Amino acid sequence: MTFYEDNKELYDSIPAEKFQLVQNNEDIHDAAFRTKPIGFFKDVWLRFIRNKASVIGGIIILIIMVFAAIGPSMNSYTYTEQHTDLANMPPKVPWIAKLNLGIMDGHYTLTKRQYDNIKDTSKYPEGCILKLKNPRIINGVKIVDVVVDYYKYKGLDDSQCYWLGSDYLGRDIWTRLWKGTRISLFIALFSVLCNVIIGVIYGSICGYYGGAVDMVLQRIMEIINAFPRIVVLTLFIMVAGTGMFSLIMAMVIKGWIPIARMIRSQFYRFKGHEYVLASRTMGTNDQKLIFRHILPNSIGPVITQAMMAVPTTIFSESFLAYIGLGLQAPNSSIGVMLSTGQKVLMQYPTQVLYPAIIISLLMICFNLFGDGLRDAFDPTQRGVS
Amino acid sequence: MSEEREKILEIKDVCMDFKQKRHKVVHAVNHVSLDIYKGENFGLVGESGCGKTTLGRTCIRLYDPTSGQIIFDGHDISGKLTKDTRKFLTSHMAMIFQDPIASLDPRMTVQEIIAEGLHNQGYKDKAQIDSMVKEMLNKVGLLPEHATRYPHEFSGGQRQRIGIARALVLKPEFIIADEPVSALDASIQAQVINLLMDMKEEFGLTIMFIAHNLAVVKYFSDRIGVMYYGTLVELADADDLYVHPLHPYTKALLSAIPEPDPLSERRKTKLYYDKSMHDYSKEKPSLQEVVPGHFVYCSDSEKEAYLKELDS
Repeated sequence: MTFYEDNKELYDSIPAEKFQLVQNNEDIHDAAFRTKPIGFFKDVWLRFIRNKASVIGGIIILIIMVFAAIGPSMNSYTYTEQHTDLANMPPKVPWIAKLNLGIMDGHYTLTKRQYDNIKDTSKYPEGCILKLKNPRIINGVKIVDVVVDYYKYKGLDDSQCYWLGSDYLGRDIWTRLWKGTRISLFIALFSVLCNVIIGVIYGSICGYYGGAVDMVLQRIMEIINAFPRIVVLTLFIMVAGTGMFSLIMAMVIKGWIPIARMIRSQFYRFKGHEYVLASRTMGTNDQKLIFRHILPNSIGPVITQAMMAVPTTIFSESFLAYIGLGLQAPNSSIGVMLSTGQKVLMQYPTQVLYPAIIISLLMICFNLFGDGLRDAFDPTQRGVS
Repeated sequence: MSEEREKILEIKDVCMDFKQKRHKVVHAVNHVSLDIYKGENFGLVGESGCGKTTLGRTCIRLYDPTSGQIIFDGHDISGKLTKDTRKFLTSHMAMIFQDPIASLDPRMTVQEIIAEGLHNQGYKDKAQIDSMVKEMLNKVGLLPEHATRYPHEFSGGQRQRIGIARALVLKPEFIIADEPVSALDASIQAQVINLLMDMKEEFGLTIMFIAHNLAVVKYFSDRIGVMYYGTLVELADADDLYVHPLHPYTKALLSAIPEPDPLSERRKTKLYYDKSMHDYSKEKPSLQEVVPGHFVYCSDSEKEAYLKELDS
């Protein structure tokens, strides 16, 4: 360190007029920011799109939704149209069949056929036999498995086909699949929306007012939570009949409780925050405090939990359909298709395959999407599940 | 001398109790009475948890006082508030909070934060609100462009200035500054304190300054109240208090101020305060005026002792 005393001559040689006061006669102001303002939700969005897996999940969900919307009208069948003579047709898509990949070309293996009848055109129409497999002799009779083009075998021309096959009543699986996806998604999204609305309002009141109000509302919530869901659903079906209403009610009757609990804990966390107090000192009313201050700060986990609830709801809808408490014929949903397809799983595995693929994709993608949202809303939670 | 001055806030025998589980009650503020005069800086000091903040928050009615009376500018603001009184209170009294990070809503822009009070008071004209916000931002040394920003983009000192702008935008007469500089570093503390001083001059404010930093309080305040466990133990003019502290707790508190010189710091005798040194079994203590303008919480015999101490 150099002191003035040590370098007196050097310092004194600088003329006084060279010195100048810093910030003389000007107001001290902070510099303007050069960057653009980034709000909370924009920040969340920026963090979200960096997460590739959840972006892909989101895109797949979108694609499935688009198909659920337009899929049923992409071919001429309707979801209730029956062709009992064309039951259990294998899937056939003309342009895939031309590629000779061995999938979706309408082939079907007829087992244990007498070799002698192969040439019989009344039994096997012209050109329907693709391959003979597994020749063997049983009780002195020549037996083979015959791989046929099932559409030609049934005497149909090339123009008519079921893209994903048909079920036991000859209904088009493609149409029913997307119709079912649409209904499953609708039930899931609508019941989650109801859950969020009820849960947010209920939880806000509990958390904001606290005390005796909270006590009473919490006990009511616990009583509702104690009902077994299957029993409630059965009661609803008795009163209101089977259908969407009963299903949605079954999802909503208890589904809002976790969301209400979470919102309540969030309110307890945020209502004592200084910015809420500061707002109160300026005369902000309760409604504004709840909706302008506390709720926007606690909405992140709610959105995440709602997203996570969607696949769970789709799954429980399928489960209910599977045990026979879901939608009834002729309505379709993913669960209905799985349960009917499962009965013929060994003979016609494709009837289960496609709904299973869709429901798995939905589950995986909603979970990925929800994970991404959670990480985006709360980066400290990254990797926790 | 204090008789001629106009009182802006009278706190009369206020208690604030918090119920805890199973009939356990915490007396956060215990029978406190004090007056604050128009235009003065009133400092309130005491250790953590002694009830300074609770008293401040009770004055602005974040808490409902358990008993006692608070009179602000001729209006009784204790008990149940009518709509008019609440409006009067919220527009004439404002509060600055301790934590500059926690006291600004992270989801709102600076514009929204500052304008909130205006909206609550029924201002409708958007252009007028905008110009008031811009003016306020200028006053606290920020730029009008900062209005569209979110709080997390600012530094601690800047945020505290936003908090001050929010408190002052309604042109209140009385400000409760609840440890406004405790969360800031020393250079920023000076900046914020000086800003408060400027604003006080400009708007003719009365400030109740709550702090535990004795040096800051000494610099800032005209009169100082010392609190200990919910009780006001000493109340005097700032200079008087620092030169002639009477209550043993005040003495202990003042002996804790660090000195810049290490040698004198080492020589300094530090005092400790023990509640059991008072014998209140025969005489009940109360806040008594020992000399004009200097109040001490003591019993009659202690008052005599304090008077003797002052004479010597």
